[in-house]
This record gives sequence, C-alpha cells and structure tokens, in this order.
Amino acid sequence: MTCLNKNKQGTEILLDYCAGTLDAERAGAVEQHALECGECRALIAAQKHLWNALDELEAPEIPADFDARLYARIARENAGPAWKNWLRELSSGGFAPDGLFWQPLFSWKPVIVGAAAVTVLAVGLSLHLVTPHAPNAQNAPAQIRPESVDAEQVEVTLEDLEMLMPPAASAGRM
Amino acid sequence: MEAVAALERDAQLMLRVREGDEGSFALLLHQHRRPVVHFLFRMVQNQAVSEELAQEVFLRVYRSRASYEPTAKFTTWLYRIATHVALNSIRDGKYERGQESLEEEIIEGVGRQIPDRRPTVEHNMLTEARLDEVRKAIDALPAKQRAAVVMHKYHELGYDQISKALGISESALKSVLFRAYETLRARLAHLA
Repeated sequence: MTCLNKNKQGTEILLDYCAGTLDAERAGAVEQHALECGECRALIAAQKHLWNALDELEAPEIPADFDARLYARIARENAGPAWKNWLRELSSGGFAPDGLFWQPLFSWKPVIVGAAAVTVLAVGLSLHLVTPHAPNAQNAPAQIRPESVDAEQVEVTLEDLEMLMPPAASAGRM
Repeated sequence: MEAVAALERDAQLMLRVREGDEGSFALLLHQHRRPVVHFLFRMVQNQAVSEELAQEVFLRVYRSRASYEPTAKFTTWLYRIATHVALNSIRDGKYERGQESLEEEIIEGVGRQIPDRRPTVEHNMLTEARLDEVRKAIDALPAKQRAAVVMHKYHELGYDQISKALGISESALKSVLFRAYETLRARLAHLA
C-alpha cells in the first residue's frame, strides 16, 4: 500500500478509515501500513483527533412550533392569488427531480434595475421636452440687437429709399 | 408499478404528496426536519437563521411537489435544496456569524445539549472555548467546503449524494474534502 497522501484514493481511504466505514480488508491494510510509515501514522492520528473534535459539536433542538410555523406559511401561500405563487416560482427557481437546480426564468434584480433606468430616461426626456430652451448660439438665426444698430447706417438707408420712390411721391413729401 | 414499488420510502411519500396527500408531507417533515435544521445550523452557526432556512427548504419541497419525479434519492434532492438555500444565504450575508453566549442559551432555554458530566464552571468554560474553536474553524471554511464536510461528517451521505447536492463531480468533491479536512486538521491541531 502506498502512503495515504501520495495515493489518488488516499483521501477517501483516510476519511473512510477514520469514520469507521472502510471495509475490514482495506482497514487492515491501512493499519499495517501505518505501523511502518510514521507520516501516515501521524496523518491518521490527526484525522481521528479532528473527527472526535467535530463529534463534540452538537446542534440545537428543534423548536416545538417548527411544524406549525411551516404549515402557517404554506396556508398563507395557498390562500394567496395563484399568479403570486406563479411569479414566486419563476423568480425563485426550482429543483429538477434529479436534484439539479434550475435557474429562475427571471430575476427581480435586473427587472428593478431596468425599471429604474427606464424611469430615469422617461423623467429626463419629459424635462427635456417641457423646459424652454436657450437658443443655440451657433444654430439660432441672427437677431437684431437694438443697442448695436448704427444710427448713421439707418439714415443712409432712409435716403436710399427716398431715391427709389417715384418723383411725385418725393415732391409731395417735400 | 414495479418501478414505484422499488422506490425508496421517501420518494414514495413524496409521490403521494404530489397526489395531494398532506399526511405524507407531514411524515417527510417529521423524518427530515431535524437533520435539515442541523445541517443548516452547522452551515450558518445561528439557530434562528438555520430554523428560518429550514422552513424555506421544506416550503420549496412543498412548492415543487407537482413537478416531483423520483429519479434521484429523496435525501439527495433534499440536501441539494438545503445546500442551495444555505449557500445563497451565506452569499447574500443574510445571517450574522457568531454564536450565542452561554447566558443567552440559559435565558432562552434552548441550550446546546451540553452534557451534565461537566462538573465545574472552569471545565464548562474550557469545553465551551474548545467547542467555539471547532465552530470557528468550520465557519472559516469556504462555503462549499463547509457544506461538503458537514454532509460527510454529520449526515453520513455518500460521495455520490454529496457531489450531486453540491453540483460537482465526485473527484472534485474528494479534492474539496481533502482541502477542507487538511485545513481543519491544521487549525485544530493545538486541541490534541
């Protein structure tokens, strides 16, 4: 027999031996090997010690109302609307008969994140549409700013207009 | 009919639950609630949380009754659910690590089955400190290693069942167990 920590099945043999579940033949081989190998002897002793230490750790008693609380939860679920149970099933996943877990068809987390993102976009868009906008300096049409109009230029323009008028109209005005 | 007859007792009970037999569910609950609560307690080290998670496990069993097919051992399926619930709880940090004090246990009257053979207060304290170290060593393991050790050590499940419960191969499970026990041996070596 090879050493337990050098053998591919060593872990299983060590654990089963210390748990007392190894068959008699293989257990005898382990004991024989341990007599000759100090390293394996120490490993077995350490595992047995650990096994005993773990034995000391006991679990608490089950409260008397455990079943009653469970049945109350089941009753609450059964009394609720069917769609709620259906949604719960969808979002909590389930367990196939072979013991494998199937993932939920959807999770609430991305739904919530998506809903939040849509809300932010909608609010932003509505604000954008409602708020009056300042004209863009580059694209807005040029507007006359009264304080920048040159008085001399206005006068010249008026004179030009008079020249374009028919003579009678011009005389009448005179 | 022969296939059904060959089924293990728990699977037959679960099939009856599927048919609407509430009494069969009560039998399954009676038989498995203690190991499930204990498994979860050793996973989360918190009595209240382990009870809550165990309720969730049995609730899921009940919810899944309509789709149940006995293609695996019932306990494998049950521990698969329990493992999933425990790992989710640990991942989401839904429980606080740590243990209740002795005083709390006495007040609440839900002591941890401390043997009466301990004669002195000093001995009690030493024993409790030792247990606390064991609990902390288990609690410090990565969640999957912890689940593997708890199922292997306390629930005497076979490698095939544990590997299915954890969703890993048997060879991967043996590596997980090897690392976990190696870590525990190192952490608790001073208690020898």
